[in-house]
Amino acid sequence: MWYNKCVDLLTVSVTARESAGEPYTLVEIAGEADVTNTDELRRLLDDEVSQQPRTLIIDLSGLRFMDSSALHALLRVNRALDRQGGVLALVSPQSAVAKILRLTTADRLIPVFDSVAEAAAG
Amino acid sequence: MARDGKTAQRVPAGQEALPVQPDPRPDGGDALPSPDTDDPMSYTYTTDLAAIRAIVHKYAVEAGLTEARAIDFTLAASEVAANTVKHAKSPGSLKIWYDAREIVCQIHDEGVITDPLAGRRQPSLDAVGGHGLWIVNQVCDQVEMQSDETGTTIRLHMILPQADTGH
Repeated sequence: MWYNKCVDLLTVSVTARESAGEPYTLVEIAGEADVTNTDELRRLLDDEVSQQPRTLIIDLSGLRFMDSSALHALLRVNRALDRQGGVLALVSPQSAVAKILRLTTADRLIPVFDSVAEAAAG
Repeated sequence: MARDGKTAQRVPAGQEALPVQPDPRPDGGDALPSPDTDDPMSYTYTTDLAAIRAIVHKYAVEAGLTEARAIDFTLAASEVAANTVKHAKSPGSLKIWYDAREIVCQIHDEGVITDPLAGRRQPSLDAVGGHGLWIVNQVCDQVEMQSDETGTTIRLHMILPQADTGH
């Protein structure tokens, strides 16, 4: 499974992967995520959540900017996964994205890792 | 008082720089004092927030903010402009200017903010909204907000490094 969807400034890629026999879904978000493309981001993430992944890893290393609307989309994914027994992990936020995660304390709710490999290892 | 240029001066965090009930003005216009500079850069925006961020970041760096603070200022301006996209039915306007002491970004739209303490209390992570103005208040040195039935003006201030060290 692989697809790449471009939403104006935002690119979202999804791949199914495996780590030590455990499958996980890797979502890479790149560009700038703000209120003008949050609806599309939310739809794409909802699609992945509906696949009921045990582990959903969102790689933020290509994301230059995220506003509070996009943050809400991530928090929504976290809640949905939590309800269905899955886990969300974030990887490598750039400074602007790390700042909003820290200011809102979202980084205390959702684990943040330095690499996809670390996130996949849990 | 609302038209006194001194109200634009920096006040300690938590103190309202604006009167709770501004005096009625014959022009019914902006209660905030005019920018100190003669020629603030002005932009009108609808949904082009990335362009707004690029402009604000450019001026923030040019004014002398460190990269980390320029990112904060850009985030704050983007959050305020995002409110226009979400709530206002008309375009917003942005003015940005700086002097030796501070850089100021003023954003106006026709939306109305009814809660005078909007952004002053931290919303829970379960809240469906309210994080934007909270973030704005966290990263800026001063935030002034004026809202009535004609619209909302929010002014974001960041003190420049030279001003911090008293040069």
